[in-house]
Amino acid sequence: MTLLLIQIFNGLVNGAFYALLSLGLAVIFGMLRIVNFAHGALYMLGAFTAYAIGERFGIGFWPSLLIAPIAVGIFGVILERLLIRRLYDLPASYNLLLTFGLTLLIQDGVRLIYGISGQPYAPPAQLAGATNLGFIVFPTFRLFAIIVSVVVCVLTWFVIERTRVGAVVRACTENPTITRAFGIDVSLWITAVFGFGAALAGLAGVLAAPIYSVDPLMGSELIITTFAVVVIGGLGSILGSVVTGYAVGVLVAIGSALYPPIANTLIFILMALVLLLRPTGLFGLQEAR
Amino acid sequence: MTARRWVVRIGVLLLLLVLPRLIYPILAVDILCWGLFALAFDLVFGYAGLLSFGHAMFWGTSAYVTANLLFRTGLPVPVAILLGTIAALVLSLPTGYLSIRSAGIYFSMVTLAFAQMIDFIARQAEDYTGGDNGLPGIPRPSLGPIHFDNAIHLVLAALGYVVAARAIESPFGQALRAIRDNRTRAQSVGYNPRVQMMVAFVISAGLSGLAGGLQAVGHGVVSLDVVHWTTSGIVVMMVLLGGTGTLLGPLVGAALVLLLRDSLASSTTATGVVTGAVFAATVLFFRRGVVGTLLMLDFRRRKAVEAPAPPAAEAAPPKQVTAANPQVRTP
Amino acid sequence: MTTMRSAAALVLLAASGASAQYSAGGIKVGLLTDMNGVYSAISGAGSLKAAEMAADDFMKTNKDFAGKISVVAVDHQNKADIASNKASEMYDRMDVDAIFDTVNSACALATSAVAASKKKVFINTGAGTSELTNEKCNKYTFHYAYDNYMLASGTGTAITKRGGKTWYMIYPNYAFGQNLERQMRAAVEKNGGKLVAPSEATPFPNTDFSSYLLKAQSLKPQVFGTMQAGADLVNVVKQYNEFGLKKQNIGLAIGLLFESDVAALGQDAYQGAIATVPWFWNVDDKATQWSRKFEKAFGKKPTFDQAAVYSAVTQYLDAIKRAKTDDADKVIAQLEGHKFNDFFAHNGEIRKQDHRGILDVYQVQVKPKSEAKEDGDYYKEIAKTPAADAFTPLSESKCKMAQ
Repeated sequence: MTLLLIQIFNGLVNGAFYALLSLGLAVIFGMLRIVNFAHGALYMLGAFTAYAIGERFGIGFWPSLLIAPIAVGIFGVILERLLIRRLYDLPASYNLLLTFGLTLLIQDGVRLIYGISGQPYAPPAQLAGATNLGFIVFPTFRLFAIIVSVVVCVLTWFVIERTRVGAVVRACTENPTITRAFGIDVSLWITAVFGFGAALAGLAGVLAAPIYSVDPLMGSELIITTFAVVVIGGLGSILGSVVTGYAVGVLVAIGSALYPPIANTLIFILMALVLLLRPTGLFGLQEAR
Repeated sequence: MTARRWVVRIGVLLLLLVLPRLIYPILAVDILCWGLFALAFDLVFGYAGLLSFGHAMFWGTSAYVTANLLFRTGLPVPVAILLGTIAALVLSLPTGYLSIRSAGIYFSMVTLAFAQMIDFIARQAEDYTGGDNGLPGIPRPSLGPIHFDNAIHLVLAALGYVVAARAIESPFGQALRAIRDNRTRAQSVGYNPRVQMMVAFVISAGLSGLAGGLQAVGHGVVSLDVVHWTTSGIVVMMVLLGGTGTLLGPLVGAALVLLLRDSLASSTTATGVVTGAVFAATVLFFRRGVVGTLLMLDFRRRKAVEAPAPPAAEAAPPKQVTAANPQVRTP
Repeated sequence: MTTMRSAAALVLLAASGASAQYSAGGIKVGLLTDMNGVYSAISGAGSLKAAEMAADDFMKTNKDFAGKISVVAVDHQNKADIASNKASEMYDRMDVDAIFDTVNSACALATSAVAASKKKVFINTGAGTSELTNEKCNKYTFHYAYDNYMLASGTGTAITKRGGKTWYMIYPNYAFGQNLERQMRAAVEKNGGKLVAPSEATPFPNTDFSSYLLKAQSLKPQVFGTMQAGADLVNVVKQYNEFGLKKQNIGLAIGLLFESDVAALGQDAYQGAIATVPWFWNVDDKATQWSRKFEKAFGKKPTFDQAAVYSAVTQYLDAIKRAKTDDADKVIAQLEGHKFNDFFAHNGEIRKQDHRGILDVYQVQVKPKSEAKEDGDYYKEIAKTPAADAFTPLSESKCKMAQ
């Protein structure tokens, strides 16, 4: 029984990653309705940026935690301004295909520079090793990751749901025409929000670098799982994605403990169930369009 | 107008007959099969307006069923393919029924979910699918003196195309387009969207299954790629490249994507960079696809001829639904 | 390199008069492999370079060989249907006489089927599935370098004999992983070891292995065995270190280890881990000599798959020389039962019954960076399994040809 509890705790930690990654996608996909298939590639870029600046300039983990997300965010802004915004008037499938193409480009581009195998990246000295929590001896870095994830998720939720800035963002995404009539530059806000979502993906990447292999394909299988989490949580709901992220982490951990092969498919079974019973997702706010 | 259509169609048929001499026969068969798959997919995407991420489940299920029948029983090739198609049809009933209840992106995600479940089952059922190793060396038992070589593919694929074409040009196809363009209005004139979409979904699944079975036989090997979600993605790209909402577009798109893939295989350049760039460029600048663009140019040319002073408000592609050709015409 | 080869070819052609004894006037070696994807570091462009080197060196040592030798490379992109298509095309249209490498098990099996139907030679070096010389064996297929049986029995036996008696294993849930686990378990139990808990099948592919590592922590076996390969293995090892299993005296046994996997994390992460390899670049002087040559030509040290390609191509060309023709059946007759020794294969033999190329294999332990004499010096040999014992005994073979 203790082992099951340990697995659930571990699941929460993994859930932290799902939640952080889904948060960025929830902002971009859930709110802006941009089917950003490149989210996994942005995550990978975050990890590689941390690796590259460490390798080239000796910049350690702590500054990377700030620099990499900003870099990825800027990259996201460029993508949005140059390419993605051309397709807003069209059905979502076009954005999907564009970002799918961009994903292939980015992944292969990184592979050409760094090769297909991973690059080494270690946690910072202060977070290396394990902490004794009484019932479990757990890697310190993972505890740090879960704390960062919770803080960022709560902050983001708070900003979007409870502040004026968030209100403007929500207005831009829910009804751009009227918002524009109020004199707000909707397209600028959309770019900013996209950049923010990208930055969140980059942050998840930096946090992942010490734990998971830093290779060009590290985000490629994650992406459909992340979409599933956002859809289960409900498009438009930040809270939904975050809660679902943690829930999925625990679910996958339990699955891994009981019948590992099904672990990756559990999410899709859950998604099918949720969509059939609640077609707009668990916390979905908007009509299924 | 009708004469033109027939000229084009016969031209295409002749091209298809000659194709195996121009490019390697197996590649030609591939183009036929994927072309049919893409057309089947477009039935739901271009005409009903639903983006399915799960069509690989029909293509793949049929491929595995066909392969298993050919391995384990002595059934002739066309029968095995037929049974594979039926398997896909059977699968489409529950999945279609449950998926159609959602709309827009939710529809896509539900179909993806089902496809992932099929992927999982395929991975687990190793006795039937060979798991990650796949099923190589699929036999093609002959029926007495009849040997099933590549000609069978042309025949069966043509059958599939005819079915698709008839579906699209029939009143049923018109109803589909009406629902796609304005669901509420279609409902007000008495169409039941759910029923029409379900029918479209099932036909699409069946044709995808036919294509999948054909492909399994054509290659002689089935691997887990047939149920992987990227396969569903490739078929979307084929339709987009070729031109959605047209009869020949998916076939052209399939040819382009497969030729690209084949030429990349023969070179050693970075596959991802090239493929990704082609995808991105197509979506950004070439949205109507090859056939769609040709039709558009042709339409403009004809309009210029008919009305010497064309009004400036020439039909821009309807932004709301598809960026395909502005008129409902099939070549 | 290419100009030299063309010049040599021209000279040979002029000297001998275009030879009619070889189909299409010469020998074409086909390399069908993953050039850009997940296995490209193991095989890829390096395998092509190895094949080209083998062709060049053969022509240098056989100046009176009548006919030119060329190498063509095709990328199967890890898709069995592309592999199948391209293999057909290579044999039919590109006049390829023999295909080498493949590196991916599904692609290898597909190519094997094509080779059998076209009646042309296929020598797999990179893929591990032992089905190629068992259930799916055929006259035209040869399996060079490693396979699951060799990996599992080598590592399982060596570690258990060294005192690692209690085991807990994880394996990726597909044919290769299941196969490897089964054979590893058999080897462990045969040598007096035991599993403290049933082995766990993990999803494939997978990035997070924490739940299994936590379980290992609570079970406290002496050995934690992982059958994961490639990117999955890198994640396992990274997390194995993260959870500090080594400090808890849980050793690491790796089913399939490639040099590129070690490079991905740096050898200190793998330090102490034990695996079985058919060869490594500095296993002995002859190997080192060849590897230096390869490194100069390619820029990186060779993986064992790339070395295997060189060896296999050379053996194939030698067989052609002995057969005096490139006719597949006659060349196969020369290959079958052939015993040889080169820088790659010691006590090498191509078994007639199942076309399994056997050779001495080594159990290695990864050494810490502090003991490495240069970049890429990863392994320390701790045991050797002679060729006769390393591979599936013929009595257990499921190959129809062996019956």
